[in-house]
Amino acid sequence: MSDLAAFNNLQLDAIREVGNIGTGNAATALSGLLSRMINMTVPKTELVSIYELGEHYGDPLQIVGAVFVRSTGGFGCSLIFIQNEEDANLMVELLLKQQFGTFIPVAELPGEMKDSALSEVGNIVLSSFLNAINMLLGTQHQISVPGVAHDMLSAILDVVASIYGQMGETALLVNTELSVEGLTDGRKISGHIILIPDPDSLELLLRKLKVM
Amino acid sequence: MAENSVVLGMADLLVMPAPVKLITLGLGSCIGLVVFDSFAKVAGMAHIMLPDSRGLRGSEKVGKFADTAVPALIEEMLKKGATRPRIKAKIAGGAQMFSLPGASAEFLTVGAKNVKETKTKLARLGIALVAADTGGNKGRTIEFSTSNWVLKVKTLGKGITEI
Repeated sequence: MSDLAAFNNLQLDAIREVGNIGTGNAATALSGLLSRMINMTVPKTELVSIYELGEHYGDPLQIVGAVFVRSTGGFGCSLIFIQNEEDANLMVELLLKQQFGTFIPVAELPGEMKDSALSEVGNIVLSSFLNAINMLLGTQHQISVPGVAHDMLSAILDVVASIYGQMGETALLVNTELSVEGLTDGRKISGHIILIPDPDSLELLLRKLKVM
Repeated sequence: MAENSVVLGMADLLVMPAPVKLITLGLGSCIGLVVFDSFAKVAGMAHIMLPDSRGLRGSEKVGKFADTAVPALIEEMLKKGATRPRIKAKIAGGAQMFSLPGASAEFLTVGAKNVKETKTKLARLGIALVAADTGGNKGRTIEFSTSNWVLKVKTLGKGITEI
């Protein structure tokens, strides 16, 4: 199963459905955390050249806030919750307002507190995503402590290249967008969940979904 | 004569005569390797992604792996008039973007392995490594100009370092 190009549409659709179930659960959890309506897009299963990862998700030099977790167990994978830095800041402000009842501009927060709030959001979104897909697959899993980074998009996505680069030139990613709407000033906060299955767990995934 | 600017993408490898500006954007765990011969007025860059090819599959780019990129880059330099004792090297990159306390995954530390393998291969070919800005947890954008043979390294929150 090292040749990703050989995946057929049925298999890609089945993987997308896994993303759909994960995202639904993640959106519910985020909605509970923020007490807001959350919108989600239909996930996309994408085969992306590892040489074009940076450009694939937008301007490779844009600054993003990213929360990363590893999941081990029956279905090994990595997950990134990635937001424009501006959206990440708005998300932190929204969470703190929700938790403490007062608005604190992110610029007045110490960096560690901002990262801690961001990793809390990422952790809840990504662990809900993982719980749902592991329940679907009937697999056990353990999740790592989340890691947070603020940097250029292409530097962040190097991690995908280092996962898929050793086995070939294509990465399989499931990409979906969550957004918080109905903010007082009409703004919208978005974030992308990117699921990066370990290359050697793809076969298990397809078997469990009975499309292989 | 005006400098041409060339931006190298992932796994690209290029050698050009001066005057030229070689650029790589948004290096995370990847390495930007610069080699130059200021006498022969020629410079090259490679955007290395991983340490070890473990046997290239036919179609892959040589610039992708440290163990294949370093010899290929030096060979290209020699073809363009450089001589081995005059070639100098500078490297930047090899950061670890995420650290997860308690979790071990080989790919998270690929930056450090990229640095190590690149240095080892340069040493084996007898190429002097004269400057390096590697490691840490921040991405880098790099620019090498043959006007002064200086490598400018831009890091978020740290500004520009010249090496």
